[in-house]
Amino acid sequence: MDSLGRARDSIPAKAGVGLRFRHHQEVLESHPAAAWFEVHTENYMGGGSAPAHLDAIRRDYPLSLHGTGLSLGSVEGLDPAHLARVQNLVERIEPGLVSEHLSFSVAAGNYLADLLPLPMTEEALEIVCRNVAQVQDHLKRRILVENPSTYLQFRHSTIPEWEFLTQVAKRTGCGILCDVNNIYVSACNHGWDASEYLAALQPKAVGEIHLAGHVVRRLDGGRVLRIDDHGSRVAPEVWALYAEALARFGPVPTLIEWDTDVPPMAVLLEEAAHAAVLIEKAESGSCRALAA
Amino acid sequence: MEAAAPSLLELQRALRASLVAHDDRGTSAHVVDAGMSPAERLDVYRNTFASVLTTALRLSYPAMHRLVGAEFFERAARVFIETSPPRSACLDDYGHEFPDFLSGFEPASSLAYLPDVARLEWSVNRALHAPDAEPLDAQRLVALEEAERARVSFALHPSVSLLRMDHPADLIWRAVLDEDDAALSAIDPCAGPVWLLTERLPTGVEVRRMSESAWRFTSALCEGRPLAAALDDARDFDASVVLADHLAAGRFIDFSLNKTAVNFP
Repeated sequence: MDSLGRARDSIPAKAGVGLRFRHHQEVLESHPAAAWFEVHTENYMGGGSAPAHLDAIRRDYPLSLHGTGLSLGSVEGLDPAHLARVQNLVERIEPGLVSEHLSFSVAAGNYLADLLPLPMTEEALEIVCRNVAQVQDHLKRRILVENPSTYLQFRHSTIPEWEFLTQVAKRTGCGILCDVNNIYVSACNHGWDASEYLAALQPKAVGEIHLAGHVVRRLDGGRVLRIDDHGSRVAPEVWALYAEALARFGPVPTLIEWDTDVPPMAVLLEEAAHAAVLIEKAESGSCRALAA
Repeated sequence: MEAAAPSLLELQRALRASLVAHDDRGTSAHVVDAGMSPAERLDVYRNTFASVLTTALRLSYPAMHRLVGAEFFERAARVFIETSPPRSACLDDYGHEFPDFLSGFEPASSLAYLPDVARLEWSVNRALHAPDAEPLDAQRLVALEEAERARVSFALHPSVSLLRMDHPADLIWRAVLDEDDAALSAIDPCAGPVWLLTERLPTGVEVRRMSESAWRFTSALCEGRPLAAALDDARDFDASVVLADHLAAGRFIDFSLNKTAVNFP
């Protein structure tokens, strides 16, 4: 326990829940049995009630900060004002984990409000490594970088995404936030082998796993595009891939994310309980057998 | 023929043009089409860009959204987003130019009060998200020499805004959010001007009306006018009561002492 009376600081290798505004009051009043919470960094950058609630929640739960605005892939560099806002919140909350995405969101000074795909090139790899190193230097801590779901690929890409992510971790010392749903979505959209993706990641680099629901959009001519909308329960195929991931990585902090039509906390805890069962199996080594 | 590989800078600027201006000339040649056209693939990102920012505007302008209806609001938002895409990844700060945009948005020109309601909503949004700041301890003022006190310029709490409006935007705003149609139809939209103060209290954001003279006095203080000069300008009413109220409510967080001596008439 530290000087602030915080019982638990690091994120346990258990199943946590993505915390959204609609559940603040419930968490403060009834202390649901979640192992840990993760919030979106950008939702707590001002003053007032939102960060005050977060301070209070932080006293009772391990907390992780997950950002969407740093734009680690921006060739024009990081926005120093945004990096300063992230730093302020990190200093205020002292989160167990800090994470961002392998993507870009800022170009020519405009924030483009999405996690946009990077070309998988040597140039982009250098830029991402430069920006990740700058964030880690600035925050004086290791961050995790998450694989995004993507809906397009660039013709001039030369490096598979899993190798690119592995290189970023190797060159900067950052960890990997392995979003199993995103791997599944991107693998389906681009014809990749999701198992090959998992097998390429170094187990000791993986610091967290994300799980979420996605939507299957049916286009004309029988074509299908999977979109990561975080608006439903985790798909059965993604649970199966998660079991594979645990077999390879061992027990890892795992988060249930839900952002569209956020359901009652009880539903999120049910999803987390399902993940917890698989983590326990991984701990006892039986997951390896299940995935085989 | 294969298009030459773009630099990362060229590609990121081209994607910006695809999202903001729906201009795919710099992107489509570089996107793998396998089963889906580049435009269809880019549409997925375009949809997210537009819907995330429209949602951000709807959250900052809820009364506006109800007042004009979802369809009109979305139409206005799409045009606004194209002309004023965000400059920061902190979307709580997005949309402060929306009221000015509405003033010049032709389809909204018959609703003269709309930009005033939008300005009021922006002040509420600002109050919600403004940084926290400790109120000024009034004892620090008491401890000053009288001559020093005359030269005090206050620093305002970041959640506080002062608005002067031609239309009773506060009444319209409240009736719309309360879904009180009777109150709304009883409002004379020309019954202005009104002088308003928006602030964040521990219980939530408050919008209150002020008298014109109290508002002008407060406005002078907010602009950094030295205390003695501001009090002197406000001789026609009891400004000290207004000042005491501001101090008690924590609307000032600091002060500095003006270098120039104040000229009394």
